[in-house]
Amino acid sequence: MIGKEDCLKALDKVVSYAKNFEVAASLRAEDLSLTRYYQNHIHQNLKRHNRTLTVRVVRGKTSGAASTNLLDDGSLRWAVQAAYENMELAGEDKDFPGLPKPEILQEVQTYVPSTANLKPKDRAEGCGVLISLAKERGLQASGTYSSAVYETAVANTSGVRAHSASTEGFFRTIVESGDNTGYADLLTRDVRDIDYRAIAEEALAKATLFPQAIDLAPGRYDTIFEEYALADLIRFFGYIAFGAEAKQQGRSFMALRMGEKVMGDNVTIWDDGLDMRGLATPFDAEGMAKRKVVFIEKGVAKGVVYDTRTAAKDGVRTTGHSAGGVGGSRSGPMPGNMFLATGDSTRGQMIASTGKGLLVTRFHYTHCPEPMRVVATGTTRDGTFLIEDGRIVARVKNLRFTESMVDAFGRVEAISKTARITRDWWSTFSSVLPCVKIREFTFTGATA
Amino acid sequence: MLVELERILGLSQKLGAEYADARYVSTSQEPVSLSSDGAPQVCTSKSAGLGLRVLVDGAWGFCATPHLDPRSLEKTAEEAVRVAAASAHFKKGDGVSLAPLEPLKARWQTPHKVDPLTVKVEDKVGLLSDVISAAMKVPGVSRAQASMMSFREDKEFMSTDGRQIEQTSIHSGAAISAMARGEGDVQSRSFSDYADGGYEFVESLDLVGRVERLATEVVELLKAPQCPAKVTDLVMGGSMVALQIHESCGHPVELDRVLGQEATFAGTSFLTPDKRGTLRYGSPAVHMVADATARGGLGSFGFDDEGVEAQRTDLIVDGIFRDYLTSRELAPMFGQESNGTMRAVGWQNIPLIRMTNINLEPGDWTLDEIIKDTKEGIFVEEPRSWSLDDKRLNFHFGQEIAYEIKDGSLGKKLKNAAHTGITPEFWNSCDAVAGSREWHIWGTPGCAKGEPVQVIHVGHGASPARFRKVKVGVGH
Repeated sequence: MIGKEDCLKALDKVVSYAKNFEVAASLRAEDLSLTRYYQNHIHQNLKRHNRTLTVRVVRGKTSGAASTNLLDDGSLRWAVQAAYENMELAGEDKDFPGLPKPEILQEVQTYVPSTANLKPKDRAEGCGVLISLAKERGLQASGTYSSAVYETAVANTSGVRAHSASTEGFFRTIVESGDNTGYADLLTRDVRDIDYRAIAEEALAKATLFPQAIDLAPGRYDTIFEEYALADLIRFFGYIAFGAEAKQQGRSFMALRMGEKVMGDNVTIWDDGLDMRGLATPFDAEGMAKRKVVFIEKGVAKGVVYDTRTAAKDGVRTTGHSAGGVGGSRSGPMPGNMFLATGDSTRGQMIASTGKGLLVTRFHYTHCPEPMRVVATGTTRDGTFLIEDGRIVARVKNLRFTESMVDAFGRVEAISKTARITRDWWSTFSSVLPCVKIREFTFTGATA
Repeated sequence: MLVELERILGLSQKLGAEYADARYVSTSQEPVSLSSDGAPQVCTSKSAGLGLRVLVDGAWGFCATPHLDPRSLEKTAEEAVRVAAASAHFKKGDGVSLAPLEPLKARWQTPHKVDPLTVKVEDKVGLLSDVISAAMKVPGVSRAQASMMSFREDKEFMSTDGRQIEQTSIHSGAAISAMARGEGDVQSRSFSDYADGGYEFVESLDLVGRVERLATEVVELLKAPQCPAKVTDLVMGGSMVALQIHESCGHPVELDRVLGQEATFAGTSFLTPDKRGTLRYGSPAVHMVADATARGGLGSFGFDDEGVEAQRTDLIVDGIFRDYLTSRELAPMFGQESNGTMRAVGWQNIPLIRMTNINLEPGDWTLDEIIKDTKEGIFVEEPRSWSLDDKRLNFHFGQEIAYEIKDGSLGKKLKNAAHTGITPEFWNSCDAVAGSREWHIWGTPGCAKGEPVQVIHVGHGASPARFRKVKVGVGH
């Protein structure tokens, strides 16, 4: 860990090089430890220390950028000079609003020493709990246990000066029982939250429930999505439709239907970067304060997230969702801490109320063939079950879904009372999500 | 940096490592991008550091640092050994043993004419500006984008087995796209290609000429009918065949996935060891190789990150699944030596089994002959989406553009095309592969694998091919 003082010292030095131009600089530092295991033994184990300092040099509406992972004086000067030369070659960006002014940032407790101080031996012991339980039952466990300290600092010649340190622990497993698998995970700021035995039991139960998987014909089924699965469906809205850039370029359903009813009455989705139930963070990549944004309210398209560039274009204030940061990347603003409003049901009640349907644990490798309608496709994995007459009656071989997510979220029949922090398969987002039941969800194929 | 590498290997051995390798990697990049609604984006970047891998008591440990002073080297060696010692509590059997490797000193460099990082940024911006202008001249185009890759990696590798390799890789390429929108619809057409080579590769791409065609097509696509849902013959252009190879052959033959090492994220593989040498993966027209020696392929190099020479390996021969991509640790399970595919992204990651250039060998047709020989079907080009199950069996690919084929001729354009199937059934339905004139190694710079995820550069030699009775038009 570099520490607040040294992070800001490095950025102050970069900012001090500004002469007849303005400067913005950011520093992202990482101390990552990660242990992977498969077939009940550890096969990969690493620790890495890295940081990236990015400099943006600005004159009027022109800018250029450069980055380095070396923080000595020579490297910092090189980065400023390289950014300056790139600025000289760049044309004017008519939508560039200039460097932002500082905002009052809320204190968010995102650093937990117990995670930062986790040792390789501690991670091995955590994995060991799972491995031992799997071995006892004659099963095979695979998984990952990571613990990390991240630091983000931002400064510019307009007075922005922000630093945050955060920790992250992620423990997950897949348990194999013959051809069947079960999955469980936990993502947290504090590794003391991780109950290895509970995670093991969840995955073990999924792996061993109904050992003989049956074939099920593709078709439309009332489907209950556990939180892991829902994360993969929500992520498409996040990167395709909930950012201001897609709206401004007219390439999302939010662009065409803002203010209209686009989903069911029971669907409310928002982003709140300061809500500690998710991975809260006080500011974005430009050093701007996080603000809550409601995307969908009772089914109506309400809003999108902004960075300073897209906000200036629409004449609104940034919501603190810059993803590109001072490097000036045009990835556009993105949500970071999404929530789907809970309902009044439970997973058990959803199963009990299903005549014929499916329970999906998780998806693999989802993608979006048609962004405008948010048509998504992907396959189920790690536990797909057939429900008949209100009971789980069989394990089903993995299925492929292909369906417009906008349409599907118009058919949400039930939502659980509880929600939990969940990462999608790609780790695009971490979101706080309940279980949901969607009527007549479309499955278009099956695994042989 | 050879002195530092030698020092840290010595430290590791003193601390109890029975094997160690160290890589110093310095990467320079200068991505340039431009769109019709913004100024050029240029971000010059440099990253340098050292990654140390050690075997202690038969278990792996790894530590990476950007600091190369003597105290930092000591700390890095201590951390790597400590991590390995923790792994050893849960090692498999007697632990890891590596296939033998003779000591060797060698140098390798990408054959190239012009290092793309020496080309003036204004020349790159100028070319991309011309691309944007050409696209936006076409009535109906609402937005255009263009970007360019300029990549150089200097690497020094040393192992306690006596391998000392210096290697420089230079990669170049570009991506262009045009978008049209109207009547509640948005369509895009794009092209991208990358190579292990210099700026001369970018100049050979005729980006301005290509974007004019793409822009015209994308406007026409807005008015095109949907690709119908049916089972029909599918003819794929080279870039689409390249992605099909990547996802349904390249990943399933990675031996670490096969064994379950990637189960929690990237998934496993249907190509289990019992199928090696026996499974009819595809029709006799299907012959695939992993070729890290192919000149210009984005997956080409001199040595992998275990210091093993780049090789060409048969994967599928006359349709029969023959072999895997391997490492020094895993190749011995088949009595083999590594076929040299262990690669890491940068200095900060561990090497994993990665694709090199996974190529479908050319056949003896031409695309024209394939179309003429097809009574009814569709012709698809340029991937838009890709999705596979965790064993790489069930797949779904979307394409940017399709054409109806009727009685041996291309007909009207179709939008929102997609096809789906099961990998071995699909490759067994392949009955025509175009020849070497239409064969090309497509650069794929975004292959993701591992935790933490590593995005690496790979290549795929492919030419147009035909597949019989495929389910198309799925999802609309």
